[in-house]
Amino acid sequence: MKFTIPIGPQHPALKEPISLRMTVEGEVIRDADIRLGYNHRGLEKLAEEKTWIQNIYLTERICGICSHSHATCYVQGVEKLMEIAPPKRGNYIRYLVAELERIHSHLLWLGVAGHEAGFDTFFMYTWRDREVVMDILEMISGNRVHYAINTLGGVRRDLDEMQIKKSLEGMEILRKRSEYYFKIGASEPTFVARLAGVGYLSKEQAIDLCAVGPTARASGVPRDVRRDDPHAVYDEIPFDVCTADTCDVLGRVVVRVKELMESYKICEFLLKNLPAGDIAVKAPKRAKPNEFLSRYEAPRGENTHYIKSNGTDKPERLKVRAPTLANYPATVQMLKTGFIADIPLIFAAIDPCICCAERTVELVNARTGEKKIRRFSELRKLAEKRFNELPSKRNAVWPF
Amino acid sequence: MLDRLVRWSRIKSPWILHLNSGACNACDIEVVAALTPRFDVERFGVLLKATPRHADVIIGTGPVTRQIKDRIIRIYEQTPDPKFVIAVGACAMSGCVYRGAYNIMGGLDQVIPVNVYVPGCPARPDAILDGVVKLLGKL
Amino acid sequence: MTDLEIMEKAKSLFGDKIVEMTNPAVRRIFIKVEPQNLVSVVAGLRKDLNITYVATISGLDLGEFFEILYHFGHDNGSLTVRTQIPRANPHIESICSVIPGAILYERELQDMFGLIVDHIPDPRPLVVPDDWPANNFPLRKDWKFERPAEIIPGGKK
Repeated sequence: MKFTIPIGPQHPALKEPISLRMTVEGEVIRDADIRLGYNHRGLEKLAEEKTWIQNIYLTERICGICSHSHATCYVQGVEKLMEIAPPKRGNYIRYLVAELERIHSHLLWLGVAGHEAGFDTFFMYTWRDREVVMDILEMISGNRVHYAINTLGGVRRDLDEMQIKKSLEGMEILRKRSEYYFKIGASEPTFVARLAGVGYLSKEQAIDLCAVGPTARASGVPRDVRRDDPHAVYDEIPFDVCTADTCDVLGRVVVRVKELMESYKICEFLLKNLPAGDIAVKAPKRAKPNEFLSRYEAPRGENTHYIKSNGTDKPERLKVRAPTLANYPATVQMLKTGFIADIPLIFAAIDPCICCAERTVELVNARTGEKKIRRFSELRKLAEKRFNELPSKRNAVWPF
Repeated sequence: MLDRLVRWSRIKSPWILHLNSGACNACDIEVVAALTPRFDVERFGVLLKATPRHADVIIGTGPVTRQIKDRIIRIYEQTPDPKFVIAVGACAMSGCVYRGAYNIMGGLDQVIPVNVYVPGCPARPDAILDGVVKLLGKL
Repeated sequence: MTDLEIMEKAKSLFGDKIVEMTNPAVRRIFIKVEPQNLVSVVAGLRKDLNITYVATISGLDLGEFFEILYHFGHDNGSLTVRTQIPRANPHIESICSVIPGAILYERELQDMFGLIVDHIPDPRPLVVPDDWPANNFPLRKDWKFERPAEIIPGGKK
């Protein structure tokens, strides 16, 4: 007998309106359906009425957590359209802010994952460390989120000696703290047992459903735009693409932890080897008729912008595809093999940035056909109850 | 006398509900960051609740999209009296950069009555705390 | 595989199905095909060139024609397949039989431009709200939006 249960647009776990309808049988989910549209703001139509520079501020506000990645992807594309190239120092500063944003986003996600699994202390610790990164970003750009540091042809603010020294100190503190946490997390058997085996997505399914980012990399698919399409600075910096083989939520945690360590290395390299010179070149007002596809690796996956110009000072077409939209079919597939109590964890594992795409969850009770809106907090309480009654999986090992 | 007791208890422990109506997430992360050890809003008695039926104060962010308009009105009616609404961020005040788009109503006060406006894009956690405290001062 | 190798292999595989092929920038290849050859070209890309990842599907309103671009990504750059369909008869075949992950992008094309994707597994609208009036396609160039007047509570208009 099947039920359909709705998880409505307002719930406390995820910070964005999202609607899912899941058909359940007992505790096992048989089918899942996602309703988008709560966050649809009509950006692509709005972008056709604003000039090239005004669009930088519009694309920044597509998402609050990955705001710099959208702005950089757009500015990269427009610079190629106008055939200008920013100077080396400008490029280094731009991608330094990008790697700092990756660090802050992964720390945020680790806190949210800990919160969904019931590990609230981890949540408080990682968000306290995130404040170190926010201070560095505020020192460089002036704001904690939406650092408007990009402009057509380079960046707007420069770094001086004291800021470089303070940033390097911040990296040291963060690295020591991160290593301590990951040692604790790896040797905590309940945390590892909670995450192992949840949200399984095999390698063939990840390739078929076009998954991106850490969701795909945790299933063994080495897809990373920084290596596939190295633009500007990434062909000079040594770094590795991090993958894992376990295909579940534990693999995604491991991939993000490894990426954090890589980002610390990249930031230190960029700070120590900052070349001298200008930070921006002057950009023309109009662009010749041309088109370009710009790709960029945001913390959640691949960000794609397709830009077309027609000779005036406004774009003809701006198409934005954010990484979470690409992970939706993979999420539906993962939910089909799970339990109700695992819904918050599976959903948080793809790092949903719903402002890049809306969702809601509705569980429909198939037995009586009645629709019940379950608050996400009720689901989380169910998850914690189940966690307490789970037989401990003694052979679950942290695959580091 | 009972009145004073009730007023004192209302000021000392406002329970909030966080409502996102299509925002870019920056203001929401700042609301959650207000709970973390650096800003620590729980020392004022503020608790983040899950359901509108337990809440005193609704904190709303984001420009209101057409799809979520009915749901917001329903949630506002589910909250028991006396209730207060705080609109956080430039999007909830007037739509920020999205003014003029075809799916946007243009600010939270087009849908439900608002008591306090907190400006900023995004509003810093200190500013949100300041808004909550000013609201409590008027009670 | 570099750009030149991919272009050679595509030319030898598809021959005259390709109307035009350009390489405007490093690691960007653009191929133009006719709408009826679209699914066979995509299946050939998947089988022989191992290109399976659809980044996104964009639509363009060019007045008399709609142009649809399918952006694929591979290990060394990206390849885009474009096709044009007439405005009077906007039908295009779905590629979900070859690549199941393209379903959401095709649903968005249906909402925003009013194209009709044949044999799509799930034809429901994706992003428009529940009370959206029918036959309103926001991204077409001739669709304008009149903003209703705002009420400022407690203030002058």
